[in-house]
Formats: sequence, C-alpha cells, structure tokens
Amino acid sequence: MSSKINGHVSPQPCPHLLDFRSRNGPKPFRALHDCIRVKPPGGCAAIRREPSEVPRCGTCEESSRSRLYACVACAAVFCHAPLLHSHASDHALSIPGHEIAVDVDRAELFCCACGDQVYDRDFDAAVVLAQTVNATATTSTSGSTAMQCSVAGSQPENLRKRRRVDYRPWEPDSGEHISRGNQSIPLLDATNASLVSSTQQPWGLRGLNNLGNTCFMNSILQALLHTPPLRNYFLGDRHNRYYCQQKNGAINGTKNSRLCLACDMDAIFSAVFSGDRTPYSPAKFLYSWWQHAANLASYEQQDAHEFFISMLEGIHEKVEKDKRKSQSPGGGDCCIAHRVFSGILRSDVMCMVCGFTSTTYDPCVDISLDLEPNQGGSGKSSSAKSLNSCNVEADCMHPNQNGGISTLNGCLERFTRAEKLGSDQKFFCQKCQVRQESLKQMSIRKLPLVSCFHVKRFEHSSIRKMSRKVDRFLQFPFSLDMAPYLSSSILRSRFGNRIFPFDGDEQDASNDLSTEFELFAVVTHSGRLDAGHYVTYLRLSNQWYKCDDAWITQVNESIVRAAQGYMMFYVQKVLYYKESENQGTS
Amino acid sequence: MSHSHELVIKSSMSRPPPPPPTTNKDQQRQNPSLQEINIKLIQSGEKERLKELLRERLLECGWIDEMKALCRAFTRKKGRNNVTVDDLVHVISPKGRSSIPDSVKAELLQRIRAFLASTAD
Repeated sequence: MSSKINGHVSPQPCPHLLDFRSRNGPKPFRALHDCIRVKPPGGCAAIRREPSEVPRCGTCEESSRSRLYACVACAAVFCHAPLLHSHASDHALSIPGHEIAVDVDRAELFCCACGDQVYDRDFDAAVVLAQTVNATATTSTSGSTAMQCSVAGSQPENLRKRRRVDYRPWEPDSGEHISRGNQSIPLLDATNASLVSSTQQPWGLRGLNNLGNTCFMNSILQALLHTPPLRNYFLGDRHNRYYCQQKNGAINGTKNSRLCLACDMDAIFSAVFSGDRTPYSPAKFLYSWWQHAANLASYEQQDAHEFFISMLEGIHEKVEKDKRKSQSPGGGDCCIAHRVFSGILRSDVMCMVCGFTSTTYDPCVDISLDLEPNQGGSGKSSSAKSLNSCNVEADCMHPNQNGGISTLNGCLERFTRAEKLGSDQKFFCQKCQVRQESLKQMSIRKLPLVSCFHVKRFEHSSIRKMSRKVDRFLQFPFSLDMAPYLSSSILRSRFGNRIFPFDGDEQDASNDLSTEFELFAVVTHSGRLDAGHYVTYLRLSNQWYKCDDAWITQVNESIVRAAQGYMMFYVQKVLYYKESENQGTS
Repeated sequence: MSHSHELVIKSSMSRPPPPPPTTNKDQQRQNPSLQEINIKLIQSGEKERLKELLRERLLECGWIDEMKALCRAFTRKKGRNNVTVDDLVHVISPKGRSSIPDSVKAELLQRIRAFLASTAD
C-alpha cells in the first residue's frame, strides 16, 4: 500500500485521488496554491479564499465545527463529523469527481469517500514552499554560519557527501610486513596463555591506578579505551607513537613538539590491550595532559566532562595539519577525536511576529542535557517559558510520561523542543529590523559515530557563589534510536504531514548510517560535589564490568540501570559488535 | 400616617425593580449564540491564540502523548493499512474529551469570558 522514495514511505493514492488527477491535468491543485495562508510564528498552513474568510459549512452554515473541508473540485466548504453527520461526505457521494477535499485549517488533502487522508507530492510541495518562503534566510551574516533554509538550498563544503572509495581487501605493504615480524607479539601462544585465558575477562580490561584524585581521568580513559571506532583506530596502528615522535623530533627539537596526546593514548592502548592484567598507571598521559591544560594541572579532583572535552581538543591540536583535509570539526576529517565524536547541531530561531527563521549549524562533540526541575518547585527550571496566562496548577504539570521518572529520551525531547526565548533575550529579526520575541528549536543535523550525553548534574551559580550537585536519578536505555531528534524529523513535525522532502532530508549525511545506537559505557559520579568518586561501567560481549580505578569486577546489568549516570556513551549500532563468548580462539 | 408611609417605602425598596421589557434584539445581545462567539473569536485572531495555548497545555500534561499512544495501539491492532483518519478520530474522541484536565478547561473558559467581556459593546 505504500512505496519507498529515498527511504521515506510514500503512501499510494486512493482510487479517487488517482481519478481526480487523471481528469484534471498535470497541475490539478493549482487553484489551491493561491489560497494557502501561512500563519506565523508556528508556520502552520491553512486554506482561505480571502485572508479574513471565516469558513462555514455550505449545508448547515456552521463555522464552529472542528473539521471543515473545501471540495477541491468546486471550492464548496462542508463540515465533516462522521459520528453526527458529514455534509462533506454527502457532497462527495452526491457528485462524482468531488471526493477529494482539503482540510481548511490544516491544509491536508482528504478523500471523503475513503474517509482517510491522502497525499499528493505537488500539493505538499506547494504548501512547504509557502511555509519556507515565509521563513527564508537570504543573506548570511559575517562571522556566523547562517545558511539558507530554502527548499532547494545549496550545501556548504563540510556537508557535501564524501566521495566513496571502492572496497579492496587489505594486503600488508612492505613496511607492515617488516613490523609484523619485528615488533609484534603473538596474542595467544603457549608462553603467555596463562596471562589471558578465554574464561577470564575480555581483552582490554585493565585497572587504572589512581594517581591522586585522578578517578575523573581514569573513568573517561576506560570509556575511551572501549569506544569501538577509537579502539580500532589505535589498535589498528593508525597513530604509531614511534613514527610520530620521530617526525616531531625531526621538525624541531623543542620539548613542546614532542607533546602529543594521541601518542600517549597509543601507549595506553598498547598497555591495556597487551594482556597484562596488573593495574596500569597512566602517569605519562596525566603529565602530558597537565601540560596541555595547564589551568587544570593539580591534584584536585576535576570534572570528568571537562577532562573529556579538553582531551579531545588536545588530540585535535596536535594532529598533523594536512592541507588536503578540511580543518573544520564538523566534517570529521581533521582528527580521530572529531571523526568519532563530532556531530552537527542545527539551531532555528523564529521571529514570533513575522515568522522569519534564522538557521545556524554548529559542530558538537557531545550533548549536554538538563535534568528536569524538581517537581516540588524548589529547583530552578531549565527553560524559561514566559507565558502571559494565569498560573497553571501543579497537578496539571506532568513533564514526563513514566510516572515521575526522568528519562534520557525525555531530556532529548526537551532539548529539541521549541522554546520561547525570554523577553530579555529578544532576537534581532532581519526582516522586521528590530528585536522581537522569538522561538528557538534545536535539532541534530548529523549524528556522530559515538554520541556522548552529558547530564548537567553540577550547577555553578556565579551569582550566588555556590555550586551544588543534582542527584536526581535519570533512566537511560541500553538501545537508543535518535531518529526523532534529527533535523529532518523536527522539521517534518513542524511542517505537518507532508511527503515533500525539504532541506533537512535527502542530503542528510545521517541517511548513510542508521539512527540506532547501543550503549557501551556509563560514567557515574557518586558522593558530593566536593568529595565524590567517578566509576565507569563498560559493556563488553553483553556483560557489564565495573571499572573503579584499579579494580575491575563483573556486575549485573541491574546495577548499571540503577546507577547515577553522569555521562553516557552510545555507539552506532552497526559499529557495535556483539562479540561471541570465546575470546582467544584462533 | 407617616408610619405606614415608611412601611410602604421600605417594602418597595426591599423588592428589586422589575426588568425592563426586552425586545428580540436585546435578548440576542445579552446571550450571543455559539456561532456569533466563534466568528468574533476567529476574526479577532483570538481563536488562534487560544488554540496555541490549548496545544501547549495539552502537551505539558501528557494528553497529546496519551492520544498518540491510543492511536498507535489501535493501529497496531487493526494493521497499518486498515486504519483511516476517521477511524482514529472515532476511537480517541470519547477518551480524549473526557480526559482533558479540569484546570485546562477552566483556564480556557476564563480566557474566553475575559475576551468576550473586553469586546462587549
């Protein structure tokens, strides 16, 4: 009953629609185009012959019905309430060829004979065009990345599809032949079989010693050591620390040039995946990181998320500046850190007076999510919705569906919800040329290979000069589908039920990869803000392991579900291997 | 004599004066029909604002999600290709109407009353 175009299901027309199209030429809905009225700021489309027309049923003269339909053949308006009476159906059945009508308040096609919504590409195209013409950004302001929000928009460089390369099976080149013979250690043979046995823990599980309040670093390192694309990169010798040091040493002999966080990562990967199970001390790495983030160099406890960001920056900085590659993080071509973690966020700011929308794209390596405010009203709310209506009673507010539990999906839904900017944050509208109240909506333009979600549990108030921790429990799924939070989905819900593709759609790089993710690491924080402890839970071969500095233990998944998540790491499902039980088989 | 005069005055003061005789036109002005109210709301743009407010309230209290869940459950049971818009409207309308929170109804009624009062001739 439906066909797929570009991966989107396109409903087949009903026989009445087909009939109508065949009898009314190539552009059967052309007369309707002039009647499409778009009401800002929501951008909803309606059908009106005159802008101030009040539609009324031709039979019963009622204008207060909830569904009024205009016959596409003769433009007569009728009401449709199948339980009571449907003057629209009466009309459709009485005159052949008059079955197709359009909902005057929603601008959606309807077949009165079938009693169901029908879709037509040309009509939907016209509606979407009318909605976006109302909201097109025509000039790009200097210094920002504002782009066209038009239906057939041009693509900036970093969003163009990368040229595909044909598949060739791997053969070692001469250099690799040699290094295979010289430097590599067999993973499993008689001599070191005692180190790694297939009944023991999986590869790459090794405790990290706490060097003095460094659990913030250990927890992130454990998560990164088992981030599939990152692990594959380093274990696949894509950043060889020996070659890198040689090169850096050759360029200039200063101490700084030998600082390379990626080399230190490479060393840690080698150590952790060597098969040696005794706890490892990442001292060299800590020292290198101190040099990179001098302001954070101390034996005090740091924020794990801050460390994560600073580490990615460190890897990005020291990457060899290849002139052929784009340096922008959004494309992910600059360094392995961005290749793995970088996605693109889209921000739409809509003027509430004229509907003009300004769209910007920004790369991001993670998404920071607010926890809901306390039900009791003592906490501060994350999004200031300033409505000029009377107070809403507390019993009406049910911000989440799961009976009071905050969920990751709930946070993501709030993150991508359209939000009224406060009156102190008026946005300068280019069309109106004054600051106006606006509506802002975030969505995800491009998904990264690995999505890191950071829960904002630490609140620092510079006004009140105090910080506090939010201990609120957050439920997170083991499998996550990011489809509803993509720009294409958000735009689609904004424009209504249309089958016409618009700019968030086909060129979407995320169409190449799926939107399904699997959880593989959870960094948790327990304790107070000033005296707390970070622990990471890793999911390997569908078993969960608790990494508490030097101690690694297998745990039941219920422990993980009940843990207080601070950072959750999800990888694209296609990159997540549900490995078999036997690890060391040849 | 003055005593009974007082009595007469008092008794007439305690009874409210009878309403003036009303013509058809006056009656309409005091009790506008649903039709008239609707047109006033549409023409002034207030209906659109009320719709926005209603959408927001119903979203906040989970009503919209509840209706979506009902539609999904119904569609799953009947099969995706055997469901029409009319079917869905028929299925969720009774539950939908009855589960609107009273606070939302009260708020909207108050808004409408306030609007009518402000635009009364």
